[in-house]
Amino acid sequence: MLLKTKKLMKAFGGLKAINKVDFELPANEIRGIIGPNGSGKSTFFNLVSGVYEPDPGSYIEFDGKDITNEPPHKVGELGLARTFQLLRLYQDMSVINNVMSGYHTLVPYSFVDAVTGRKKIWDQEKTIKEEMMELLSFVGLADYAELNASELSGGQRRLLVLARAIAGKPKLLMLDEPAAGLSPVNVDNLMKILMRLKEKYGLTLIIIEHILKVVMDTCSKVTVLDHGEKIAEGTPSQIKDDNAVIEAYLGKKMDDEEMRKALAV
Amino acid sequence: MDKFKEIIRQYPFLGFIIAFIILMLVPSVFFTDLYQSHLASLICINIIVAAGLNIVKGFCGQVTVGHVGIYAVGSYTAGCMFLYLGSGLWLTLPAAILIAGLFGVAFAIPSFRLEGPYLALATLGGGEAIRLFIENGDFFMSTYGISNIPQPIIFGVPFDTPDKYYYIAMPVMLIAVYFSFSVLRSSVGRAFMAVREDPISAAASGINVKKHKMLAFVLSAMFAGGAGAVYAHLPPGYIHPNNYTVIEMVTFLAMVVFGGLGHIWGGIIGAIIITIVYDLTRPLYEYQLFIFGLTIVLTILFMPKGIGGFIDKYFIDRRFKTKTGAASK
Repeated sequence: MLLKTKKLMKAFGGLKAINKVDFELPANEIRGIIGPNGSGKSTFFNLVSGVYEPDPGSYIEFDGKDITNEPPHKVGELGLARTFQLLRLYQDMSVINNVMSGYHTLVPYSFVDAVTGRKKIWDQEKTIKEEMMELLSFVGLADYAELNASELSGGQRRLLVLARAIAGKPKLLMLDEPAAGLSPVNVDNLMKILMRLKEKYGLTLIIIEHILKVVMDTCSKVTVLDHGEKIAEGTPSQIKDDNAVIEAYLGKKMDDEEMRKALAV
Repeated sequence: MDKFKEIIRQYPFLGFIIAFIILMLVPSVFFTDLYQSHLASLICINIIVAAGLNIVKGFCGQVTVGHVGIYAVGSYTAGCMFLYLGSGLWLTLPAAILIAGLFGVAFAIPSFRLEGPYLALATLGGGEAIRLFIENGDFFMSTYGISNIPQPIIFGVPFDTPDKYYYIAMPVMLIAVYFSFSVLRSSVGRAFMAVREDPISAAASGINVKKHKMLAFVLSAMFAGGAGAVYAHLPPGYIHPNNYTVIEMVTFLAMVVFGGLGHIWGGIIGAIIITIVYDLTRPLYEYQLFIFGLTIVLTILFMPKGIGGFIDKYFIDRRFKTKTGAASK
Protein backbone atom coordinates (compact mmCIF):
# COMPACT_ATOMS: atom_id res chain seq x y z
CA MET A 1 0.00 0.00 0.00
CA LEU A 2 1.36 3.41 -0.88
CA LEU A 3 -0.89 5.32 1.49
CA LYS A 4 -2.70 3.92 4.48
CA THR A 5 -4.66 5.64 7.23
CA LYS A 6 -6.11 3.95 10.28
CA LYS A 7 -8.75 5.53 12.49
CA LEU A 8 -7.84 8.93 11.14
CA MET A 9 -9.52 11.55 13.31
CA LYS A 10 -9.65 15.31 13.50
CA ALA A 11 -12.06 17.39 15.53
CA PHE A 12 -12.38 21.18 15.44
CA GLY A 13 -14.02 21.92 18.77
CA GLY A 14 -17.13 19.75 18.81
CA LEU A 15 -17.17 19.20 15.06
CA LYS A 16 -15.69 15.92 13.94
CA ALA A 17 -14.29 16.95 10.57
CA ILE A 18 -12.80 13.51 9.97
CA ASN A 19 -14.09 10.61 11.99
CA LYS A 20 -12.28 7.27 12.06
CA VAL A 21 -11.47 7.05 8.38
CA ASP A 22 -9.62 3.94 7.23
CA PHE A 23 -8.16 4.48 3.79
CA GLU A 24 -5.91 2.33 1.68
CA LEU A 25 -4.42 3.17 -1.66
CA PRO A 26 -2.18 0.86 -3.69
CA ALA A 27 0.44 2.32 -6.02
CA ASN A 28 -0.48 3.34 -9.58
CA GLU A 29 -4.15 3.80 -8.83
CA ILE A 30 -6.28 6.84 -9.59
CA ARG A 31 -8.59 7.36 -6.68
CA GLY A 32 -11.43 9.84 -6.58
CA ILE A 33 -12.78 11.33 -3.39
CA ILE A 34 -16.26 12.84 -3.55
CA GLY A 35 -18.70 14.13 -0.99
CA PRO A 36 -20.85 17.17 -0.28
CA ASN A 37 -19.30 20.47 0.83
CA GLY A 38 -18.03 20.24 4.37
CA SER A 39 -17.75 16.48 4.30
CA GLY A 40 -14.05 16.57 5.19
CA LYS A 41 -12.36 15.98 1.85
CA SER A 42 -9.93 18.87 2.10
CA THR A 43 -9.38 18.17 5.79
CA PHE A 44 -8.40 14.66 4.81
CA PHE A 45 -5.78 16.08 2.43
CA ASN A 46 -4.54 18.50 5.06
CA LEU A 47 -4.15 15.71 7.59
CA VAL A 48 -2.29 13.41 5.23
CA SER A 49 0.03 16.16 3.98
CA GLY A 50 0.79 17.31 7.53
CA VAL A 51 -0.80 20.76 7.37
CA TYR A 52 -3.09 19.76 10.25
CA GLU A 53 -2.02 17.54 13.11
CA PRO A 54 -4.34 14.55 13.46
CA ASP A 55 -5.98 13.76 16.81
CA PRO A 56 -4.33 11.12 19.02
CA GLY A 57 -5.06 7.56 18.02
CA SER A 58 -4.77 8.26 14.31
CA TYR A 59 -2.22 6.55 12.14
CA ILE A 60 -1.00 7.53 8.68
CA GLU A 61 1.51 5.53 6.69
CA PHE A 62 3.07 6.58 3.41
CA ASP A 63 5.34 4.33 1.39
CA GLY A 64 5.98 2.13 4.42
CA LYS A 65 6.84 5.01 6.75
CA ASP A 66 4.80 6.35 9.65
CA ILE A 67 4.08 10.01 8.85
CA THR A 68 1.36 10.58 11.44
CA ASN A 69 2.90 13.58 13.16
CA GLU A 70 5.48 14.63 10.58
CA PRO A 71 5.58 18.32 9.57
CA PRO A 72 4.45 19.11 6.01
CA HIS A 73 7.93 19.60 4.56
CA LYS A 74 9.01 16.14 5.75
CA VAL A 75 5.94 14.63 4.09
CA GLY A 76 6.77 16.55 0.93
CA GLU A 77 10.34 15.28 1.00
CA LEU A 78 9.11 11.69 1.12
CA GLY A 79 7.40 12.17 -2.22
CA LEU A 80 3.87 13.19 -1.41
CA ALA A 81 2.86 16.26 -3.39
CA ARG A 82 -0.42 18.07 -3.30
CA THR A 83 -2.24 21.01 -4.80
CA PHE A 84 -4.56 23.37 -2.98
CA GLN A 85 -8.14 24.28 -3.63
CA LEU A 86 -7.16 27.97 -3.57
CA LEU A 87 -4.06 27.21 -5.68
CA ARG A 88 -1.60 29.08 -3.43
CA LEU A 89 0.64 30.05 -6.34
CA TYR A 90 3.73 32.13 -5.71
CA GLN A 91 2.09 35.18 -7.28
CA ASP A 92 5.12 37.45 -7.35
CA MET A 93 7.55 34.92 -8.80
CA SER A 94 8.09 34.06 -12.43
CA VAL A 95 6.43 30.94 -13.81
CA ILE A 96 9.76 29.15 -14.16
CA ASN A 97 10.73 30.02 -10.58
CA ASN A 98 7.39 28.67 -9.38
CA VAL A 99 8.14 25.35 -10.97
CA MET A 100 11.81 25.34 -9.97
CA SER A 101 10.93 25.87 -6.32
CA GLY A 102 8.81 22.73 -6.58
CA TYR A 103 12.05 20.91 -7.43
CA HIS A 104 13.62 22.05 -4.14
CA THR A 105 14.02 18.65 -2.48
CA LEU A 106 15.88 17.21 -5.47
CA VAL A 107 18.45 20.01 -5.85
CA PRO A 108 21.80 18.20 -5.90
CA TYR A 109 23.98 20.84 -4.20
CA SER A 110 24.01 21.82 -0.54
CA PHE A 111 23.68 25.24 1.05
CA VAL A 112 27.44 25.47 1.56
CA ASP A 113 27.96 24.81 -2.15
CA ALA A 114 25.46 27.55 -2.95
CA VAL A 115 27.27 30.12 -0.79
CA THR A 116 30.52 29.64 -2.67
CA GLY A 117 28.73 30.15 -5.99
CA ARG A 118 31.13 28.07 -8.04
CA LYS A 119 30.72 27.23 -11.71
CA LYS A 120 29.56 23.72 -10.84
CA ILE A 121 26.49 25.16 -9.12
CA TRP A 122 25.54 27.28 -12.11
CA ASP A 123 25.86 24.29 -14.39
CA GLN A 124 23.58 22.29 -12.16
CA GLU A 125 21.12 25.17 -12.01
CA LYS A 126 21.12 25.28 -15.78
CA THR A 127 20.33 21.57 -15.98
CA ILE A 128 17.47 21.99 -13.51
CA LYS A 129 16.12 24.91 -15.50
CA GLU A 130 16.23 22.95 -18.74
CA GLU A 131 14.43 20.05 -17.12
CA MET A 132 11.77 22.36 -15.71
CA MET A 133 11.33 24.10 -19.07
CA GLU A 134 10.64 20.70 -20.53
CA LEU A 135 7.96 20.13 -17.91
CA LEU A 136 6.51 23.57 -18.65
CA SER A 137 6.31 22.88 -22.37
CA PHE A 138 4.66 19.57 -21.50
CA VAL A 139 1.80 21.40 -19.80
CA GLY A 140 1.91 24.13 -22.46
CA LEU A 141 3.28 27.05 -20.46
CA ALA A 142 6.80 27.30 -21.89
CA ASP A 143 6.05 30.61 -23.63
CA TYR A 144 5.10 32.22 -20.32
CA ALA A 145 8.15 31.08 -18.37
CA GLU A 146 9.49 34.55 -17.58
CA LEU A 147 6.14 36.15 -16.73
CA ASN A 148 4.91 36.58 -13.20
CA ALA A 149 2.50 33.89 -12.09
CA SER A 150 -0.06 36.60 -11.29
CA GLU A 151 -0.26 37.47 -14.98
CA LEU A 152 -1.60 34.06 -16.00
CA SER A 153 -5.24 33.27 -16.70
CA GLY A 154 -7.29 31.02 -14.44
CA GLY A 155 -6.82 27.94 -16.58
CA GLN A 156 -3.08 28.52 -16.94
CA ARG A 157 -2.76 28.89 -13.18
CA ARG A 158 -4.33 25.48 -12.67
CA LEU A 159 -1.79 24.01 -15.09
CA LEU A 160 1.06 25.79 -13.33
CA VAL A 161 0.02 24.44 -9.93
CA LEU A 162 0.00 21.00 -11.46
CA ALA A 163 3.47 21.50 -12.93
CA ARG A 164 4.81 22.79 -9.63
CA ALA A 165 3.49 19.77 -7.76
CA ILE A 166 4.97 17.37 -10.29
CA ALA A 167 8.36 19.14 -10.42
CA GLY A 168 9.48 17.35 -7.25
CA LYS A 169 8.87 13.95 -8.90
CA PRO A 170 6.39 12.75 -6.28
CA LYS A 171 5.19 9.19 -5.84
CA LEU A 172 1.72 10.30 -4.87
CA LEU A 173 -0.04 13.40 -6.08
CA MET A 174 -3.13 14.66 -4.31
CA LEU A 175 -5.23 17.10 -6.33
CA ASP A 176 -7.78 19.26 -4.57
CA GLU A 177 -10.43 20.20 -7.14
CA PRO A 178 -8.03 20.53 -10.09
CA ALA A 179 -10.83 21.44 -12.51
CA ALA A 180 -12.84 23.88 -10.39
CA GLY A 181 -13.93 26.89 -12.39
CA LEU A 182 -12.73 25.59 -15.73
CA SER A 183 -14.80 25.53 -18.90
CA PRO A 184 -15.72 22.07 -20.25
CA VAL A 185 -13.06 22.28 -22.98
CA ASN A 186 -10.40 23.22 -20.47
CA VAL A 187 -11.48 20.42 -18.15
CA ASP A 188 -10.95 17.89 -20.93
CA ASN A 189 -7.59 19.45 -21.75
CA LEU A 190 -6.51 19.34 -18.10
CA MET A 191 -7.52 15.72 -17.70
CA LYS A 192 -5.67 14.80 -20.89
CA ILE A 193 -2.51 16.46 -19.59
CA LEU A 194 -2.99 14.80 -16.23
CA MET A 195 -3.25 11.35 -17.78
CA ARG A 196 -0.15 11.95 -19.88
CA LEU A 197 1.77 13.10 -16.81
CA LYS A 198 0.62 10.04 -14.90
CA GLU A 199 1.95 7.80 -17.66
CA LYS A 200 5.21 9.68 -17.94
CA TYR A 201 6.09 9.90 -14.26
CA GLY A 202 4.33 6.76 -12.98
CA LEU A 203 2.18 8.75 -10.58
CA THR A 204 -0.44 7.59 -8.16
CA LEU A 205 -3.29 10.07 -7.93
CA ILE A 206 -5.97 11.06 -5.48
CA ILE A 207 -8.46 13.53 -6.94
CA ILE A 208 -11.07 15.52 -5.10
CA GLU A 209 -13.54 16.78 -7.67
CA HIS A 210 -17.11 17.94 -7.88
CA ILE A 211 -17.35 17.53 -11.63
CA LEU A 212 -18.63 13.96 -11.58
CA LYS A 213 -17.79 13.34 -15.21
CA VAL A 214 -14.10 13.71 -14.35
CA VAL A 215 -14.33 11.33 -11.43
CA MET A 216 -16.41 8.72 -13.22
CA ASP A 217 -14.28 8.74 -16.37
CA THR A 218 -10.79 8.74 -14.91
CA CYS A 219 -10.86 7.14 -11.48
CA SER A 220 -10.55 3.43 -11.06
CA LYS A 221 -12.03 3.60 -7.59
CA VAL A 222 -14.00 6.22 -5.68
CA THR A 223 -14.22 6.93 -1.96
CA VAL A 224 -17.23 8.84 -0.70
CA LEU A 225 -17.08 10.95 2.45
CA ASP A 226 -20.00 12.46 4.32
CA HIS A 227 -19.85 14.28 7.64
CA GLY A 228 -16.28 13.15 8.08
CA GLU A 229 -17.06 9.48 7.66
CA LYS A 230 -16.38 7.13 4.82
CA ILE A 231 -19.78 6.01 3.62
CA ALA A 232 -18.84 4.08 0.51
CA GLU A 233 -15.93 2.90 -1.57
CA GLY A 234 -15.87 1.10 -4.89
CA THR A 235 -15.69 1.40 -8.65
CA PRO A 236 -17.52 4.38 -10.20
CA SER A 237 -20.38 2.19 -11.39
CA GLN A 238 -20.83 0.68 -7.93
CA ILE A 239 -20.83 4.15 -6.38
CA LYS A 240 -23.43 5.39 -8.84
CA ASP A 241 -25.92 2.80 -7.58
CA ASP A 242 -25.10 3.01 -3.88
CA ASN A 243 -28.13 4.24 -1.94
CA ALA A 244 -26.17 5.99 0.80
CA VAL A 245 -24.17 7.92 -1.79
CA ILE A 246 -27.22 8.90 -3.74
CA GLU A 247 -28.82 10.16 -0.57
CA ALA A 248 -25.80 12.17 0.56
CA TYR A 249 -24.36 13.50 -2.64
CA LEU A 250 -25.92 12.73 -5.95
CA GLY A 251 -29.45 13.61 -4.88
CA LYS A 252 -32.36 11.29 -4.34
CA LYS A 253 -34.20 9.85 -7.27
CA MET A 254 -37.90 10.43 -6.78
CA ASP A 255 -40.77 8.59 -8.32
CA ASP A 256 -43.88 10.41 -9.50
CA GLU A 257 -45.75 9.91 -6.24
CA GLU A 258 -42.96 11.44 -4.14
CA MET A 259 -42.51 14.28 -6.56
CA ARG A 260 -46.18 15.22 -6.35
CA LYS A 261 -46.03 15.13 -2.56
CA ALA A 262 -42.91 17.27 -2.45
CA LEU A 263 -44.43 19.87 -4.77
CA ALA A 264 -47.72 19.98 -2.88
CA VAL A 265 -45.91 21.00 0.34
CA MET B 1 28.66 41.56 -26.04
CA ASP B 2 26.61 38.39 -25.76
CA LYS B 3 29.77 36.34 -25.66
CA PHE B 4 31.06 38.50 -22.82
CA LYS B 5 27.78 37.97 -20.96
CA GLU B 6 28.07 34.22 -21.43
CA ILE B 7 31.58 34.19 -19.99
CA ILE B 8 30.47 36.21 -16.96
CA ARG B 9 27.58 33.83 -16.44
CA GLN B 10 29.92 30.86 -16.51
CA TYR B 11 32.52 32.37 -14.22
CA PRO B 12 30.61 34.69 -11.91
CA PHE B 13 33.76 35.44 -9.97
CA LEU B 14 35.29 37.08 -13.03
CA GLY B 15 32.63 39.78 -12.97
CA PHE B 16 33.57 40.64 -9.44
CA ILE B 17 37.26 40.84 -10.27
CA ILE B 18 36.41 43.29 -13.06
CA ALA B 19 34.22 45.28 -10.67
CA PHE B 20 37.07 45.24 -8.15
CA ILE B 21 39.54 46.67 -10.64
CA ILE B 22 37.09 49.38 -11.74
CA LEU B 23 36.27 50.34 -8.15
CA MET B 24 39.99 50.43 -7.31
CA LEU B 25 40.46 53.06 -10.00
CA VAL B 26 37.40 55.16 -9.11
CA PRO B 27 39.01 57.29 -6.36
CA SER B 28 42.03 58.35 -8.39
CA VAL B 29 39.82 59.38 -11.30
CA PHE B 30 36.82 60.99 -9.65
CA PHE B 31 37.53 61.89 -6.05
CA THR B 32 38.87 65.34 -5.33
CA ASP B 33 38.78 65.50 -1.55
CA LEU B 34 38.83 63.25 1.52
CA TYR B 35 35.16 63.81 2.13
CA GLN B 36 34.19 62.01 -1.09
CA SER B 37 36.27 59.00 -0.06
CA HIS B 38 34.56 59.01 3.31
CA LEU B 39 31.19 59.04 1.58
CA ALA B 40 32.30 56.19 -0.70
CA SER B 41 33.26 54.08 2.34
CA LEU B 42 29.90 54.84 3.91
CA ILE B 43 28.17 53.77 0.71
CA CYS B 44 30.09 50.49 0.79
CA ILE B 45 29.03 49.86 4.40
CA ASN B 46 25.41 50.70 3.63
CA ILE B 47 25.44 48.39 0.61
CA ILE B 48 26.46 45.53 2.89
CA VAL B 49 23.60 46.27 5.28
CA ALA B 50 21.10 46.75 2.44
CA ALA B 51 22.18 43.52 0.74
CA GLY B 52 21.66 41.70 4.04
CA LEU B 53 18.34 43.37 4.73
CA ASN B 54 17.19 42.43 1.24
CA ILE B 55 17.76 38.76 2.05
CA VAL B 56 15.46 38.75 5.05
CA LYS B 57 12.93 41.37 3.99
CA GLY B 58 12.99 41.36 0.22
CA PHE B 59 13.48 37.67 -0.42
CA CYS B 60 12.21 35.90 2.67
CA GLY B 61 9.45 38.46 3.32
CA GLN B 62 10.07 38.79 7.05
CA VAL B 63 9.51 42.35 8.19
CA THR B 64 12.34 43.24 10.54
CA VAL B 65 12.85 46.68 12.03
CA GLY B 66 15.49 45.52 14.50
CA HIS B 67 18.33 45.22 12.06
CA VAL B 68 20.01 48.34 13.28
CA GLY B 69 20.38 46.58 16.65
CA ILE B 70 22.35 43.81 15.00
CA TYR B 71 24.41 46.41 13.17
CA ALA B 72 25.15 47.92 16.60
CA VAL B 73 26.13 44.48 17.89
CA GLY B 74 28.67 44.23 15.08
CA SER B 75 30.07 47.69 15.81
CA TYR B 76 30.27 47.15 19.55
CA THR B 77 31.82 43.71 19.17
CA ALA B 78 34.57 45.42 17.21
CA GLY B 79 34.73 48.34 19.65
CA CYS B 80 34.88 46.21 22.79
CA MET B 81 37.39 43.79 21.31
CA PHE B 82 39.65 46.74 20.61
CA LEU B 83 38.96 48.24 24.04
CA TYR B 84 39.60 45.13 26.12
CA LEU B 85 41.74 42.92 23.88
CA GLY B 86 43.37 45.46 21.61
CA SER B 87 42.31 43.56 18.48
CA GLY B 88 42.37 45.03 14.98
CA LEU B 89 39.90 44.71 12.10
CA TRP B 90 41.17 41.31 10.91
CA LEU B 91 40.10 39.79 14.23
CA THR B 92 37.10 41.94 15.02
CA LEU B 93 35.45 41.49 11.61
CA PRO B 94 35.03 37.70 11.81
CA ALA B 95 34.11 37.94 15.49
CA ALA B 96 31.48 40.60 14.75
CA ILE B 97 30.04 38.46 11.94
CA LEU B 98 29.86 35.44 14.26
CA ILE B 99 28.26 37.22 17.20
CA ALA B 100 25.82 39.07 14.96
CA GLY B 101 24.87 35.68 13.51
CA LEU B 102 23.99 34.49 17.02
CA PHE B 103 21.81 37.55 17.51
CA GLY B 104 20.22 36.70 14.16
CA VAL B 105 19.13 33.38 15.67
CA ALA B 106 17.43 35.26 18.50
CA PHE B 107 15.67 37.59 16.05
CA ALA B 108 14.50 34.66 13.93
CA ILE B 109 12.63 32.93 16.75
CA PRO B 110 9.69 35.41 16.87
CA SER B 111 9.26 35.03 13.09
CA PHE B 112 8.15 31.42 13.55
CA ARG B 113 4.91 32.62 15.06
CA LEU B 114 4.53 36.30 14.18
CA GLU B 115 3.86 37.87 10.82
CA GLY B 116 3.79 41.31 9.23
CA PRO B 117 3.28 44.26 11.56
CA TYR B 118 3.44 42.07 14.68
CA LEU B 119 6.85 40.77 13.73
CA ALA B 120 7.89 44.34 12.96
CA LEU B 121 6.90 45.37 16.49
CA ALA B 122 8.76 42.48 18.09
CA THR B 123 11.95 43.14 16.15
CA LEU B 124 11.65 46.89 16.74
CA GLY B 125 11.60 46.15 20.46
CA GLY B 126 14.61 43.86 20.08
CA GLY B 127 16.65 46.46 18.21
CA GLU B 128 15.83 49.28 20.64
CA ALA B 129 16.57 46.99 23.60
CA ILE B 130 20.06 46.37 22.26
CA ARG B 131 20.69 50.10 21.84
CA LEU B 132 19.40 50.94 25.33
CA PHE B 133 21.43 48.10 26.81
CA ILE B 134 24.56 49.55 25.23
CA GLU B 135 23.65 53.09 26.23
CA ASN B 136 23.28 52.10 29.87
CA GLY B 137 26.17 49.66 30.12
CA ASP B 138 29.47 50.86 31.55
CA PHE B 139 31.10 47.90 29.86
CA PHE B 140 30.22 49.52 26.53
CA MET B 141 31.34 52.99 27.72
CA SER B 142 27.61 53.93 27.79
CA THR B 143 26.97 57.39 26.32
CA TYR B 144 30.65 58.27 26.04
CA GLY B 145 30.99 56.02 23.03
CA ILE B 146 34.14 54.17 22.09
CA SER B 147 36.75 56.25 20.36
CA ASN B 148 40.12 55.78 18.67
CA ILE B 149 39.24 52.39 17.24
CA PRO B 150 42.31 51.77 15.09
CA GLN B 151 42.42 51.25 11.35
CA PRO B 152 44.22 48.20 9.98
CA ILE B 153 47.86 48.29 8.90
CA ILE B 154 48.83 46.24 5.85
CA PHE B 155 52.52 45.72 5.06
CA GLY B 156 53.39 48.60 7.31
CA VAL B 157 50.98 50.97 5.57
CA PRO B 158 48.31 52.31 7.95
CA PHE B 159 44.90 52.70 6.32
CA ASP B 160 44.01 55.51 8.69
CA THR B 161 42.64 58.20 6.38
CA PRO B 162 39.29 58.13 4.57
CA ASP B 163 40.87 57.83 1.13
CA LYS B 164 42.86 54.79 2.21
CA TYR B 165 40.06 53.20 4.22
CA TYR B 166 37.98 53.02 1.05
CA TYR B 167 40.31 50.24 -0.08
CA ILE B 168 39.31 48.26 3.05
CA ALA B 169 35.56 48.86 2.90
CA MET B 170 35.21 48.31 -0.85
CA PRO B 171 36.61 44.73 -1.03
CA VAL B 172 34.55 43.72 2.03
CA MET B 173 31.49 45.09 0.26
CA LEU B 174 32.32 43.19 -2.94
CA ILE B 175 32.73 39.93 -1.03
CA ALA B 176 29.41 40.49 0.74
CA VAL B 177 27.64 41.25 -2.54
CA TYR B 178 29.22 38.18 -4.13
CA PHE B 179 27.89 35.99 -1.33
CA SER B 180 24.46 37.53 -1.52
CA PHE B 181 24.36 36.88 -5.28
CA SER B 182 25.47 33.27 -4.89
CA VAL B 183 22.91 32.54 -2.19
CA LEU B 184 19.98 34.35 -3.74
CA ARG B 185 20.49 33.04 -7.27
CA SER B 186 20.58 29.44 -6.00
CA SER B 187 17.82 27.12 -4.84
CA VAL B 188 18.11 28.69 -1.38
CA GLY B 189 17.07 32.09 -2.77
CA ARG B 190 14.13 30.49 -4.53
CA ALA B 191 13.12 28.78 -1.30
CA PHE B 192 13.26 32.17 0.46
CA MET B 193 10.90 33.64 -2.12
CA ALA B 194 8.57 30.66 -1.84
CA VAL B 195 8.43 31.18 1.93
CA ARG B 196 7.64 34.86 1.33
CA GLU B 197 4.88 34.15 -1.16
CA ASP B 198 3.15 31.27 0.58
CA PRO B 199 4.61 29.34 3.53
CA ILE B 200 1.98 26.60 3.36
CA SER B 201 2.52 25.65 -0.23
CA ALA B 202 6.28 26.07 0.24
CA ALA B 203 6.12 23.45 2.96
CA ALA B 204 4.08 21.20 0.68
CA SER B 205 6.94 21.37 -1.83
CA GLY B 206 9.30 20.06 0.83
CA ILE B 207 10.79 23.42 1.82
CA ASN B 208 11.49 23.62 5.54
CA VAL B 209 9.90 26.98 6.34
CA LYS B 210 11.38 27.46 9.82
CA LYS B 211 14.85 26.49 8.67
CA HIS B 212 14.77 28.97 5.81
CA LYS B 213 13.43 31.79 7.97
CA MET B 214 16.24 31.09 10.42
CA LEU B 215 18.77 30.97 7.60
CA ALA B 216 17.57 34.29 6.19
CA PHE B 217 17.75 36.02 9.55
CA VAL B 218 21.18 34.62 10.39
CA LEU B 219 22.62 35.44 6.96
CA SER B 220 21.35 38.99 6.98
CA ALA B 221 22.49 39.44 10.59
CA MET B 222 25.97 38.36 9.54
CA PHE B 223 25.92 40.98 6.78
CA ALA B 224 24.79 43.64 9.26
CA GLY B 225 27.39 42.55 11.82
CA GLY B 226 30.20 42.70 9.27
CA ALA B 227 29.06 46.12 8.13
CA GLY B 228 28.94 47.24 11.76
CA ALA B 229 32.55 46.18 12.32
CA VAL B 230 33.73 47.96 9.18
CA TYR B 231 31.81 51.03 10.33
CA ALA B 232 33.43 50.91 13.79
CA HIS B 233 36.90 51.03 12.27
CA LEU B 234 35.96 53.76 9.81
CA PRO B 235 38.19 56.80 10.49
CA PRO B 236 38.08 58.50 12.97
CA GLY B 237 37.03 55.21 14.62
CA TYR B 238 34.30 56.50 16.87
CA ILE B 239 31.00 54.78 17.71
CA HIS B 240 28.16 56.06 19.85
CA PRO B 241 24.75 54.53 20.72
CA ASN B 242 23.07 57.44 18.93
CA ASN B 243 24.35 56.06 15.62
CA TYR B 244 22.00 53.09 15.98
CA THR B 245 18.56 54.59 16.47
CA VAL B 246 15.30 54.00 14.63
CA ILE B 247 16.28 56.85 12.33
CA GLU B 248 19.14 54.76 10.94
CA MET B 249 16.77 51.83 10.60
CA VAL B 250 14.36 53.93 8.55
CA THR B 251 17.26 54.93 6.32
CA PHE B 252 18.24 51.29 5.79
CA LEU B 253 14.64 50.37 5.06
CA ALA B 254 14.34 53.26 2.62
CA MET B 255 17.37 51.88 0.73
CA VAL B 256 15.85 48.45 0.32
CA VAL B 257 12.32 49.64 -0.44
CA PHE B 258 13.40 52.36 -2.84
CA GLY B 259 15.84 50.05 -4.57
CA GLY B 260 13.27 47.30 -4.89
CA LEU B 261 12.32 44.59 -2.44
CA GLY B 262 13.47 41.19 -3.59
CA HIS B 263 15.80 42.58 -6.23
CA ILE B 264 19.53 42.09 -5.64
CA TRP B 265 20.70 45.03 -7.76
CA GLY B 266 17.86 47.12 -6.40
CA GLY B 267 19.19 47.00 -2.83
CA ILE B 268 22.63 48.06 -4.02
CA ILE B 269 21.37 50.94 -6.16
CA GLY B 270 19.06 52.02 -3.35
CA ALA B 271 21.96 52.06 -0.89
CA ILE B 272 24.03 54.25 -3.20
CA ILE B 273 21.25 56.74 -3.93
CA ILE B 274 19.91 57.02 -0.39
CA THR B 275 23.37 57.42 1.14
CA ILE B 276 24.19 60.24 -1.25
CA VAL B 277 20.81 61.92 -0.79
CA TYR B 278 21.11 61.52 2.98
CA ASP B 279 24.40 63.36 2.84
CA LEU B 280 23.25 66.09 0.48
CA THR B 281 20.24 66.83 2.68
CA ARG B 282 22.30 67.06 5.86
CA PRO B 283 21.73 70.86 6.08
CA LEU B 284 17.98 70.13 6.18
CA TYR B 285 18.40 67.68 8.99
CA GLU B 286 15.08 68.58 10.65
CA TYR B 287 13.27 67.32 7.58
CA GLN B 288 15.41 64.28 6.85
CA LEU B 289 13.26 61.75 8.66
CA PHE B 290 10.22 63.25 7.01
CA ILE B 291 11.83 62.95 3.60
CA PHE B 292 12.79 59.31 4.04
CA GLY B 293 9.47 58.36 5.56
CA LEU B 294 7.75 60.01 2.63
CA THR B 295 10.10 58.24 0.19
CA ILE B 296 9.09 54.87 1.62
CA VAL B 297 5.38 55.68 1.53
CA LEU B 298 5.47 57.10 -2.00
CA THR B 299 7.63 54.24 -3.29
CA ILE B 300 5.23 51.66 -1.89
CA LEU B 301 2.25 53.54 -3.30
CA PHE B 302 3.49 54.37 -6.78
CA MET B 303 6.29 51.93 -7.59
CA PRO B 304 5.93 48.99 -5.23
CA LYS B 305 8.85 47.20 -6.81
CA GLY B 306 11.17 50.16 -6.59
CA ILE B 307 13.94 50.82 -9.08
CA GLY B 308 14.60 47.10 -9.41
CA GLY B 309 11.08 46.67 -10.74
CA PHE B 310 11.82 49.11 -13.55
CA ILE B 311 15.02 47.28 -14.43
CA ASP B 312 13.21 43.94 -14.54
CA LYS B 313 10.37 45.35 -16.62
CA TYR B 314 12.82 46.81 -19.10
CA PHE B 315 14.58 43.49 -19.63
CA ILE B 316 11.37 41.47 -19.90
CA ASP B 317 9.90 43.96 -22.38
CA ARG B 318 13.04 43.87 -24.45
CA ARG B 319 13.10 40.09 -24.51
CA PHE B 320 9.48 39.98 -25.64
CA LYS B 321 10.16 42.55 -28.32
CA THR B 322 13.05 40.56 -29.73
CA LYS B 323 10.91 37.44 -29.59
CA THR B 324 8.02 38.95 -31.52
CA GLY B 325 10.49 40.62 -33.87
CA ALA B 326 12.07 37.28 -34.65
CA ALA B 327 8.63 35.78 -35.25
CA SER B 328 7.66 38.49 -37.77
CA LYS B 329 10.81 37.84 -39.79
